[in-house]
Amino acid sequence: MDFAFFLGCTIPLKQPNLEKAFRDVCSILGINLKEMAGASCCPEPVSLQSLNIDTWLTLGARNLAIAEKMGMDVMTICSGCYETLKTVSVLLGEDPGHKAKINDILKKIKYEYRGDINVLHMVELFSQPQWLDKIKQSLVKPLDDFTFAVHYGCHLIRPSKIMRFDHPEKPERIDTILKTLGARTINFATKLECCGYCARLQDEIGEKLVEDKMTELCELEEDVDALIAVCPACVSQYDRKEKLIARRTGKEMNIPVLYLPEIMAVALGVALEDLNLTQRSVKPDKLIEKLTT
Amino acid sequence: MSQRLRKQAVELDKNFRYEISQKIGAKSLLKCIQCGVCSSGCTVTEYVDLQPHRIVASCLLGLKEEVLSSQAIWTCSLCHRCTERCPKNVDYSFILALLRSMAAQEGRIPKEYSSSVITILENGFVIPYSEGMKKNIDKRRARLGLPEISGPNQNEIEFIYEETGLKELIKKTEVGK
Ligand code: SF4
Ligand code: SF4
Repeated sequence: MDFAFFLGCTIPLKQPNLEKAFRDVCSILGINLKEMAGASCCPEPVSLQSLNIDTWLTLGARNLAIAEKMGMDVMTICSGCYETLKTVSVLLGEDPGHKAKINDILKKIKYEYRGDINVLHMVELFSQPQWLDKIKQSLVKPLDDFTFAVHYGCHLIRPSKIMRFDHPEKPERIDTILKTLGARTINFATKLECCGYCARLQDEIGEKLVEDKMTELCELEEDVDALIAVCPACVSQYDRKEKLIARRTGKEMNIPVLYLPEIMAVALGVALEDLNLTQRSVKPDKLIEKLTT
Repeated sequence: MSQRLRKQAVELDKNFRYEISQKIGAKSLLKCIQCGVCSSGCTVTEYVDLQPHRIVASCLLGLKEEVLSSQAIWTCSLCHRCTERCPKNVDYSFILALLRSMAAQEGRIPKEYSSSVITILENGFVIPYSEGMKKNIDKRRARLGLPEISGPNQNEIEFIYEETGLKELIKKTEVGK
């Protein structure tokens, strides 16, 4: 299966090891990723949409037009990119007049956005029955002894009338993927809380949200091997803030944060040395030890 | 707060609600019944000067200045729970973004927002990707065996900023300085 691979900014430029994990998983499963030459920032939903919605829509439609020219659906690996590109496609799909207005601009730089391709998030693909089967068949290292907490984040599932992805208050698709790898996932009170990364003006909001979630996970009776997220912003938010909070409060918080493709790659047999799992603030030493014994 | 909101009927901007609702994705504003569900589930509800349902009420009443000068319109974690749960399908999180853009038109732009807009204009990406930065990033990618990045033609990005009026806003408000 071929996809136009939309890289975005944060992953390729700041956390390329996450990109590598995803590419490794795709090559094992037989998913072909085609590079989108000329793609820009999605553009990110916080600032650009806030200052000028038409700039946001037009840049988003330009990216989609590149994939349309390739004749492939778009694959995203960041929930921010997914939110932007999917929202742009839904809003313009519902408003042909506005789409024409955006196309008037795009035509002057030789692009056209028709609206005939789909935008997918990697979770959407991996959780389809045929890919879950494929994952199961390709398992090299089943994660039977592992327990994970899942962080869905916001943009993946809400607002559901646009994302049309999973149940907005009781999503399951990431849990299903992890269970297919052999792992257990837990339910916990703050599971659907936001990471706070997008609340730009007050750092305290993000810190409080991270502290609440991590405190709950630490206090659970069960040991959680890692928090699994599907967006680079969530990954870095929890990883960095967790360390800061531990330093400030003296609370021991040692829950590593992994990006879903990283743990998938491990289960599918990618060597640990190739994944650079220690390149983060909270080192997943215990997890690595458990994986290697 | 209640003091600030006590206004004479003649001081209200009665068209403010339509100014908002005619924009793409914002028609739903007019359907609010003030149930408060948006505020009860809002991630940042303890941090704002006007909670979501009160912002909506203020828009409907025509309290334009109060809304556009509030800190609440910029304090949002974009969790979309308000939009998800509203029983009347009011797209509050989108309306909030529109309110930010209206405030921006008047030059009220926090630097946390303007700086990424400038970075995208200059790099095509929201992370600086030129000269020394680019060299380091490229090296790191090559070490991991990842393909080279073929970014956008900067002129196209700039053209879109110009055509949609964002370039002018940046110039007018000098946020780039
Ligand atoms: S949830 Fe909807 S109807 Fe209720 S107050 Fe908020 S915007 Fe209005
Ligand atoms: S999107 Fe913003 S306003 Fe809406 S519930 Fe989340 S934080 Fe509150």
